[in-house]
Amino acid sequence: MTEKIESKNASGWICNRCNLPLELQKIRLQYFRVIFALDLPACPGCGMILIDEELATGKMAEAEQVLEDK
Amino acid sequence: MDDFMGKAPSNETESLCPVCLKRIKAARLFQGDEVFLVKECMDHGSFRTILWRGEPSMTEWRRPKPPVHPDLCYGTVEKGCPFDCGLCDAHEQLPCSVLIEVTDRCNLHCPVCFADSGRGESADPSLDKISWLLERAMAAAGPCNLQLSGGEPTLRDDLPDVVKLARGIGYSFIQVNTNGLRLAADKDYVRRLHAAGLSSVFLQFDGVDDAIHRILRGRSLLDHKLQAVRNCGATGLGVVLVPTVVRGVNTSAIGAILRQGLQLAPTVRGVHFQPISYFGRFPDHKVDEGRFTLPELMRCLEEQTGGLVRVSDFSPPGCEHAHCSFHATYMQTFDGGLRVIGAAEGDNCCSAVSGAGGVKRTVETVSRRWSLPPAMPSSQCLPIYNATSSCCGIGHDPTRIEGDLDLDVFLREAAVRTFTISAMTFQDAYNLDLERLRGCCISVISPDGKLVPFCAYNLTGMGGKGLYRRRDGLRSQW
Repeated sequence: MTEKIESKNASGWICNRCNLPLELQKIRLQYFRVIFALDLPACPGCGMILIDEELATGKMAEAEQVLEDK
Repeated sequence: MDDFMGKAPSNETESLCPVCLKRIKAARLFQGDEVFLVKECMDHGSFRTILWRGEPSMTEWRRPKPPVHPDLCYGTVEKGCPFDCGLCDAHEQLPCSVLIEVTDRCNLHCPVCFADSGRGESADPSLDKISWLLERAMAAAGPCNLQLSGGEPTLRDDLPDVVKLARGIGYSFIQVNTNGLRLAADKDYVRRLHAAGLSSVFLQFDGVDDAIHRILRGRSLLDHKLQAVRNCGATGLGVVLVPTVVRGVNTSAIGAILRQGLQLAPTVRGVHFQPISYFGRFPDHKVDEGRFTLPELMRCLEEQTGGLVRVSDFSPPGCEHAHCSFHATYMQTFDGGLRVIGAAEGDNCCSAVSGAGGVKRTVETVSRRWSLPPAMPSSQCLPIYNATSSCCGIGHDPTRIEGDLDLDVFLREAAVRTFTISAMTFQDAYNLDLERLRGCCISVISPDGKLVPFCAYNLTGMGGKGLYRRRDGLRSQW
């Protein structure tokens, strides 16, 4: 759960559970065999990671389509 | 054996007598690390054919799918499998690929030919006839992948018109199965095929040593094959190398073939190995001698590439029966590294895929993997390595890459840099397993407009009699 202050960078987001500002962290996302490394806003307290809609429906959806196997 | 309902898989199945082609009971017999198909015909005796040898075991090589029956069937169940193909409504998978033979003519006369082509007994079907056949296939099978085959389809001067026709009917992925001789000799023809909408070229490619071509095809061919790849690449047409694998002929060249394919990327999109099956035309001697089973091929790929690819990379298919094939997808890095990106281990065994869903995913995935992206500048179609010679052994040796991947780099490179390694083993009168046949997703549209599973269409008895293919182009009467 987050409260949005700004939408452009991690410092604009606050974790509602921990009341801590999100920080950009090195995150590893695994889909089948592939692990993508990218910087994403994450809560330093509980570890919650924020994946915004643009990323989820954009690049991640595209990657998923490429990796889709028969 | 590939049971979806949770029942313990049975090793009892059915097959045909290789002499009289009558349906008989059969069983998969496990002996040590080998699996044989054993069967007995009351009139013609017992038969035993190797199916599987070694690891990964046949038992663990599973990917169960619930049966899906075709909605529109041109065949009616009367005599039972495999005599009623059309498809009939007892078939248990939808087609993901339809093959049409656009000519019986051929400019080679290979000692091994699943279609026994080149007899010159039937005229090429007209464009009107082809249109009728493709419309029928579309009505029953939907917009699945289309294979233009033969004979040698590039002997038709109007093959680009066939491609245009197929596009107009609604086929979006169209491949041609070819020996490449004309593609090597006629750049304008290649351009016309590409302009007409051809998606991919499946190029017969049995080795990087012409001694292999002389045995399997009757003449030296390597220069023509490499030129065909270059001409396709210059036009933006992707190529898949298709070796027929025969034990003792080119089984020690598996690694070399793969390395050659990698050197010719991104024009070459993958290598699709086909262990020999004994149907159509084949040398008349002990048939089991040349067989090379799927697990042997997987292990061979790992051994002969020094671990560049690994047995654990490969997965059974989501569309056809598990024992028909394996595949893995890789990404090449700009400096020649190779990274596996296909399905993870552990997904092989019990990840159930619905039959219809498996077909749709296959159609889309095949299109991505086996064709080059549209509107690529021709400079991007050149091989990764700046090697003036494409012969194996010149250029960098690829290295296996593991570890994290940058998402942006992946998305930028993936369309061009993926490379698929796969294999499909067809069935013949000796090793035919009707359970596998009912799960087949590759159908031939026969001259009389019926869809027949590929292995059934090409199946040939010991005396040369076809189950479905007749010499005059009509179907055998059963």
